[in-house]
Amino acid sequence: MNIKKQFREGLITNNPVLVQQIGMCATMAITTTLFNGVGMGLSVLIILTCCNVVVSAIRKIIPDEIRLAIFVVVIAGFVTIVDLLLQAFIPALSAALGVFIPLIVVNCIIIGRAEAFCQKNTVSASFFDGIFQGLGYTCVLICMCVFRELIGSGRFGGGLIDIANGFRFTLDGTGGGIQLFPSEYGASIMNLPFGGFITLGLLIALMQYALKKGEKKRALAERAAAEAEANKEDESC
Amino acid sequence: MNGESKKILKLTFILFLICAVTAGVLGVVNEVTKDRIYMQKNAKTIEAYSAVLASERYEELTFDKDAFPTVDVVSKASNGEGWVVQTTFSGAQGSITMVAGVDNDYKCTGISIIEHSETSGLGANAASTAEVGVNFRAQFIGQGEDIALAGAGGSIEALTGATITSEAVTKATATSIAVVKSLG
Repeated sequence: MNIKKQFREGLITNNPVLVQQIGMCATMAITTTLFNGVGMGLSVLIILTCCNVVVSAIRKIIPDEIRLAIFVVVIAGFVTIVDLLLQAFIPALSAALGVFIPLIVVNCIIIGRAEAFCQKNTVSASFFDGIFQGLGYTCVLICMCVFRELIGSGRFGGGLIDIANGFRFTLDGTGGGIQLFPSEYGASIMNLPFGGFITLGLLIALMQYALKKGEKKRALAERAAAEAEANKEDESC
Repeated sequence: MNGESKKILKLTFILFLICAVTAGVLGVVNEVTKDRIYMQKNAKTIEAYSAVLASERYEELTFDKDAFPTVDVVSKASNGEGWVVQTTFSGAQGSITMVAGVDNDYKCTGISIIEHSETSGLGANAASTAEVGVNFRAQFIGQGEDIALAGAGGSIEALTGATITSEAVTKATATSIAVVKSLG
């Protein structure tokens, strides 16, 4: 399993949200400010990587009959750890994400990767799978947050960026973000679940378009190469 | 012992082992973070109390819990400036915990939201430190027991797209003033 291919799969061709279409609930619920998106994305990335490593490390001793129960125990363990750490060290993020952190336990990205990837692959491959799938998830969240926050509240980087006293990043969720236009003119419906559905739909459509286009291009290139090969053979005759 | 029950025992043992390891790890993490989490929660409450009505100490009073089911704690400011009332009530998404200060003329001296699970960008603005949240909460200062939303004949402008949250907070403020009045 090479890393480059895993990177491409996690971020593009097998992106957890846009292509596999798993883990949508939290995606739609929390992508209202950049602070939430980055926080949730990184939490999932850390939990996913840890679970992947542990599951693949113990994959030989897990009996097939109870593998799901064991996956859930491992996942719930890591989620609780991250939840407690967030409450202790970044309480603002814990407050903003609320119930969606504990809900990562049933986020199908993690159990899906454990089932589909880690129980068949080595620890190192699973580690990179966790990182890249997590990154893919984070990227989608960030795209959705930026779009929804801009259209919904006319803002960029709410909670994360503070420009009141010079440009700086905040970790306590108090940054007001960069107001690009007054929030009264924002379509606040974008902050509601409706906006989440619309944004996700648009993103998936865009992704499918890009993937199809890429496939066509590759097919054309292959055909051109085959023709060139054929021409060469003609000339040599 | 036959093969079948041996197998079940083995499965049980493995599952037990993994659960035990997980529980052990969680115990350690809990031990490490417990104090910090308690401190964070406590700090928030203390900050909220002094934000609505500054005082050195607050003395907890007894009140009629049956008449005011949403009220958690009523405290008298030790400097005689008034009372601080902590209430927990339901908002649009889940329960909201807030404190309201009440002065000796039974007027609100300010509100501060400690915990909530309102929609980010809408109801959550009620607790936000951004301009919109600060302006929303500033409206409550000086209001009496007849406090109400602008739509219901009062003067509190509801947050855009968050009427339920705004109404719940307004009602809780009225309750806070009422419970203080009931104590005389």
